Amino acid sequence: MQTTLDADTTPAPAHIANHPLHWRNRGYAHHFKSRDEDFDSSKFGMWLFLTTEVLLFAGIFCGYAVFRMLYPEAWSNGSHYLDWRFGAANTVVLLISSWTVASAVRCAQLNKQKWLQINLVITLLCAALFVFIKIQFEYIPKLGEGKAPGTFFSYAYAQNPYEVLWWSLYYMGTGIHALHVLIGASLLAWVLFRSWKYQAYGPTEYLMVENSALYWHLVDLVWIFLFPLLYLIH
Amino acid sequence: MNMPLLASTNMSFLQRIFFGNHGASEAAAWSDGLFMMIFWFSAVCFVILMALMVIFVVKYRRKPGVAAQPSPHHNLNLEILWTVVPSASMLVMFVLGFEGYAMKMVAPDSAMELKVDAWKWAWKVTYPNGASSPETKYISFDDNMLALEAGEADALIETMGLEYPIFYVPEDTAVKLRMHSQDVIHSFWIPEFRTKMDVMPNRYTGYGFQTPKLKSTDMVLDQTTMLDIPGRDMWIFCAEYCGDEHSRMAATLRIVPQEIYEAKIKEWGTPKDPIELGKTIHKTMCAICHSVDGSPGTGPTWKSGNGYGFGYDAALADGTTAPRDANYLRESILDPNAKVVAGYVPAMPSFQGQLSDVEIDGLIAYMQSLSDLGPNQEETNEETPEAADTAGSESP
Amino acid sequence: MSYADSNAHHEEGSYFSGPPGMLAKIWQWMTTVDHKKIGVMYLFAIMFMFFIGGVAALAVRYELLDPVRTVQMMDASGEEMTIVTGERLAGLKDIMNARSANEVYNRMFTLHGAVMVFMFIVPSVPASLGNFFLPIMLGAKDVAFPRLNLLSWYIYVTGCLFGVLSILMGGVDTGWTFYTPYSTTTDADHWRVVLMILAAFILGFSSILTGMNFVVSVHKLRAPGMGWFDMPLFLWGVYATSIIQVLATPVIGITLLLLVFERLFHIGIFDPSMGGDPVLYQHFFWFYSHPVVYVMILPAMGIISELIAVHSRKHIFGYRAIAFSSLGIAGVSFLVWGHHIFTAMGELAAILFSGLTFLVAIPTAIKVFNWLATLYKGSIAINTPMLYALAFLFTFSIGGLTGLPLATLATDLHLHDTYYVVAHFHYVMMGGTVVAFMGGIHHWWPKMFGKMYNEKGGMLGCILVFVGFNITFFTQFFLGTQGMPRRYANYVDEFQTLHQISTYGSWIILLGFLVHLGVFIASLISGEKADQNPWGGLTLEWETESPPIEHNFHHEPVVTHGPYDFDKVVPPGWDPKDYPLPANPSSHS
Repeated sequence: MQTTLDADTTPAPAHIANHPLHWRNRGYAHHFKSRDEDFDSSKFGMWLFLTTEVLLFAGIFCGYAVFRMLYPEAWSNGSHYLDWRFGAANTVVLLISSWTVASAVRCAQLNKQKWLQINLVITLLCAALFVFIKIQFEYIPKLGEGKAPGTFFSYAYAQNPYEVLWWSLYYMGTGIHALHVLIGASLLAWVLFRSWKYQAYGPTEYLMVENSALYWHLVDLVWIFLFPLLYLIH
Repeated sequence: MNMPLLASTNMSFLQRIFFGNHGASEAAAWSDGLFMMIFWFSAVCFVILMALMVIFVVKYRRKPGVAAQPSPHHNLNLEILWTVVPSASMLVMFVLGFEGYAMKMVAPDSAMELKVDAWKWAWKVTYPNGASSPETKYISFDDNMLALEAGEADALIETMGLEYPIFYVPEDTAVKLRMHSQDVIHSFWIPEFRTKMDVMPNRYTGYGFQTPKLKSTDMVLDQTTMLDIPGRDMWIFCAEYCGDEHSRMAATLRIVPQEIYEAKIKEWGTPKDPIELGKTIHKTMCAICHSVDGSPGTGPTWKSGNGYGFGYDAALADGTTAPRDANYLRESILDPNAKVVAGYVPAMPSFQGQLSDVEIDGLIAYMQSLSDLGPNQEETNEETPEAADTAGSESP
Repeated sequence: MSYADSNAHHEEGSYFSGPPGMLAKIWQWMTTVDHKKIGVMYLFAIMFMFFIGGVAALAVRYELLDPVRTVQMMDASGEEMTIVTGERLAGLKDIMNARSANEVYNRMFTLHGAVMVFMFIVPSVPASLGNFFLPIMLGAKDVAFPRLNLLSWYIYVTGCLFGVLSILMGGVDTGWTFYTPYSTTTDADHWRVVLMILAAFILGFSSILTGMNFVVSVHKLRAPGMGWFDMPLFLWGVYATSIIQVLATPVIGITLLLLVFERLFHIGIFDPSMGGDPVLYQHFFWFYSHPVVYVMILPAMGIISELIAVHSRKHIFGYRAIAFSSLGIAGVSFLVWGHHIFTAMGELAAILFSGLTFLVAIPTAIKVFNWLATLYKGSIAINTPMLYALAFLFTFSIGGLTGLPLATLATDLHLHDTYYVVAHFHYVMMGGTVVAFMGGIHHWWPKMFGKMYNEKGGMLGCILVFVGFNITFFTQFFLGTQGMPRRYANYVDEFQTLHQISTYGSWIILLGFLVHLGVFIASLISGEKADQNPWGGLTLEWETESPPIEHNFHHEPVVTHGPYDFDKVVPPGWDPKDYPLPANPSSHS
C-alpha cells in the first residue's frame, strides 16, 4: 500500500505524548482536506459496504423463510439433524473473538502495542477454531452420511423429500458465512502483520484496525442470526 | 358501473388499429375500453406537453443579445396541481384495472373446467370427459405466395411445416382453465380474450373466460370433413420464453356451437385404431421435435434409415447402443433422459402421467408402421384395438 | 502517484498530457487513479459493449424481417424439394454451434439483452460521465476512493471479458433474465451459461464499488459553500442512483450465485422438480432488476436537467421537487418489483404491486413538467445537446405514458410479455437513457476532450437516431396490442408489415450512430479547440480548463452562486457583452 508521511501530522494527544511512538500518522489522500475527512469517509464507505453484505445474506434468510413456510416438516427435520452444541460452541467462539477484536481497536487507540497484537492473535485463533469446528465436526461427518446439497445428496434415511433443500440452504448459508470468516481473518492477519512488523497503528492511526474489526463484527452478527435459525428453531 | 362505458360494442377506428379485432368476451371488451381510456388520457397529456415544448422552443429560441426573461423558480400552487391531477387520474386507472382484473380472473363455479398441459413445445387441452383434441391445422395458408416470391421453384406442390392443434370449446359458455407445465415456465395467452397467465411446473394456475356467441358469418373449415362449419378460430400463443421452438408453441382455440362440440368430444373419446391414434398424438404433441419424413429436428426423426427408426439400433450419447424396440421407446417416452441418442441434448420432458398406456401403445404402433423393419408398415391391423381408454390423463 | 504526492503545486497540464512514449502513456492510463482517465476508459469500454449489443439488436431485427416458413415445391427438373424461407440467421448456425436457426435467434436476443443491460446501460452514465464530472462538479480533486474506482474499472472489464468469452463460445439462449428452470436446464454446455451468469455477478461488484464511491464523495467532498441544495441536479440523479446500486446489487449477487450452484450442482432452490420455486427466483431477480431500471434512468434525468437549464439559460424550475423526486423514485423503486410478474403471482400481491407501481409514476411526471416549465421564457439554443434533450422529452413522455396500461392490472394481462412491453421499455431505456447519454456526451464533449465537434453533424446524427428510433419502436406498440408475443423468432403472417417497418427503422438508427461516430472521430482529429465554457454553464466543471487539468482546479473552488443562477451571474469565461443578463432578475433564490 502506497503511503507518504504527512507534513502537518496531527500532534499526539497530551496523554500519550510521553510514550515512545513507533507509529506515525499516515498521509491522507490528496483530494481530502484533512485527515479527519479521509478517516470519516473511509468509515462511511465501510458502513456502506457492510450494508451490502447484510443485503447479500438477506437473500439467504429470505430463501430460508420461504422454504420454511412451504416445507415446515423438512425444515424441522433439518434442524434436528444439527447438533446445537457445535453451533453454540461456535457462537461462543465468535463472541469471544468479537470482544477481543473490539479490545484490539481500543488498544490501538491507547497505544498498547503488545495488547493490540495479543488481542488480534486471540481473534485469529478463534477464527481458526470456528472453521475447524465447522469443518471437522459438522461438514465432514454430514457429508460422509450423504447429507449434502443438490446432486451430492444421498442420505438414505431422509424422511421428507424436501430435506435436500434444507441442506442446500444450510451449505449455502454457512458456506458463504465461512468464506466471510476467512476474508475477515485475512484482513485481521494483515493488520497483525503490519502491527508486528512496523507497529503501524496507534492512537490517531487505527482506521485499518477499526474497519477490519467492523467487518469482523458483521461476520459475528450474521452468525448470530444463522445459529438460532438453523440450529435452535425446530 | 363503468361497464357500459368501457365495454363498448362499437370499435372506434383507433381501437381497430390497436387490437385488430373485437375482444371476444365482455371482460376483453372492457379491458380494451380501459386501454382506450388510458390511451386518450395519455394522448391528451402528450399533445399538451409537446405543444408547449414546441411553442416554447419556437417562441423563446435564442436571439443574439437577448437575455432569457426572468420567471419564478417555483410555484407551489402549480406544483401541487400537477402532482394531484396525475395522482387522482392514476387512482382511477388503478381501481378500474383492479375491477377488470377480477372480471378476467374469476370464473363462475359452474364453468366448464379444461385442463391445460404445457411442455416444450406444445399445448394439450383435456376435456371433462378425458378426451383431447386430435385435430390440427397449418399456421398459414399464404405459404404458397411466399415460396413463389422467393422464386426458388417453378411449381409449388404443397405447403408443409407444422400443424397446430385445434381446441374446440362451445359458444356462449363459461370456461375456466387449470394449467400445469411439465418442464419450464410457459404462458397461456389467448389474445382475443386479452388474458394470459403463466403456466408453472410446480403449481396450478388458471383463469376464466366466457366464450362469445357465434355470428352467422363465423365459419371455419373442419379439417376432418373438409366442410365449412359455424365457428370462430383464435390463436393461442406461449408468451413466456421457453426455448428453441418458443415461437411455434401455438394452438388454435375454435369456438363452435354446442352440438358440434359435443359430437367432437364424443368422437374423440371413443377408441381408435392404434396407428391412427399414434398418428394424431404425434401430430398434436410430438411433431414439433420429431419429424416423420427424416428432416432434422430437436429430437431424432421417426423415419427409418441412417440409423433411425423402429428396430434399428440407437447410438447413444454415452457411446453404447440400444435396440430401438418397444421397451426402449416406452422408456424414452416416460423417462427420456435415461437413454439419449448421440448428437441430441436431453431436452425432452417426461410424458409420465401425460399419456395413457393405450396412447403409448398407439405411438409405438405408429413408429413401427413408419419403419421398414416394423411389422406394421402396411395397413395390417395385427394388434387389436384395446378397450376404451377412460381416464385419459391425470397429472400427479 | 498523483494520489500520493499531495498538495504539491506545480504547473499542471491537461489530464491526458502524459509522459512521452507510447508504452509509458499506456502504463500511466492503466495504473491511473485519476477519476477523469477512469471515466474516459469507462466511456470507451462501455461504447464498445454498446457496439456489440447493437450488432446483436440488428441481427434480431434482421431475422424478423419475414416469418419462417417451410414449403415443399418442385424444381425445374420436376424433383421435389423442401425449402425453408425466412431463416435469415441460419448462416450463423454452424459458427455459433447452435441446434437450429431459432436457437441462433434466441442467443442473439439474449446477447443483446445481457450486454445492453449489464454491460452497457447500468454503468453507462454513472461510470463514464458520472466518474468524470461528479468530483469536478463537487469541486473536489477526485472521488473519495480513487483506487477502488480503478479497481471497479478492472472488475468491469473482467466481467465483460467473461461475457465476451461466453459469446465467443457460442453464447447462451437463456434470455437476459435467466429465468429458471429454463436457464438451469437449457444447453448441454454448462460453461457458456455459467460464464454469462458469472459475468453479471462480477459486474455487480463493479457497480457496488462505483455506487459506494459516489455516495461517500457526495457526502464528504462538496466544495466549501456547496450545501446539499446547491448541488447540480445531475449529482442528485447520480446520488440517488448510487444508493440504489449499493442497496440492490448485493441481492442479485446472491441470486446469481445460487443460480450458478443450481446450474452446476442442482441445489434445488429454484428447481421445481426438487421442491424449489422458480417464482422465488423471479422475485429475487426483479428485486434487483426493477430498482436497476432507475439506476439506468435517474442519472439520465440528471443530465436532462443540466442540458435544459444550461442551453435555455434558465434557472431550473422546481429544483427541490426534482431533487426530492429523484430520492422518491429511488425509494419507491424497491417496492414495485412485482409488476414484472403479475401473471405469475397471486391476486392479492398483484393488486398491491399494481397500486405501488402507480406511485412511482408521479415523481417521474413531476420531473417532466418541471423541465417543460424551465423552457418557459428561456433563451433556447438549438444545438445537439438541446435537440437530444427535446428528443428525450418526446420519447420519454411516450415511454412513461405507455407504462400506465402496464401498471393497470386488467390491461397488463393482455400486454405483458408482448411487443408492447418491448416498445415501452425501449422508449424508456433507449429513448430515455441512451438519448440523454448521447446528449450528455455532446454537452460535455468539449470539456472532456478539449475539442469542439461539428454541430451540424451532431444535429444530423441526432435527428437520424430520433427518427429511426421512433420508426423502430412505435410500430411495436401495435404489434403488441394486436397479439405478437416477445422473444419470437417467427410469427403469423399478419404481423409482417409492422415487423418490416420496424427493421427498416433499426437501419436508420444504425446510420445515425455511424454519423455520430464520424463526428466524434473528426472532432478528436481536427476539432476546433474548445473554450473553457462553450455553453455558458454555471456548474463548477466550467470553471476549469477544457480539458481539465490533472487536479481539476488550480485553486480549491468556493461556491458563491447556485448552479442555475443564469439570470444573475455571467458564466465564467464569458464576456458580459456576449452574455446579456435580464434587467430585473428573479427575486427567488
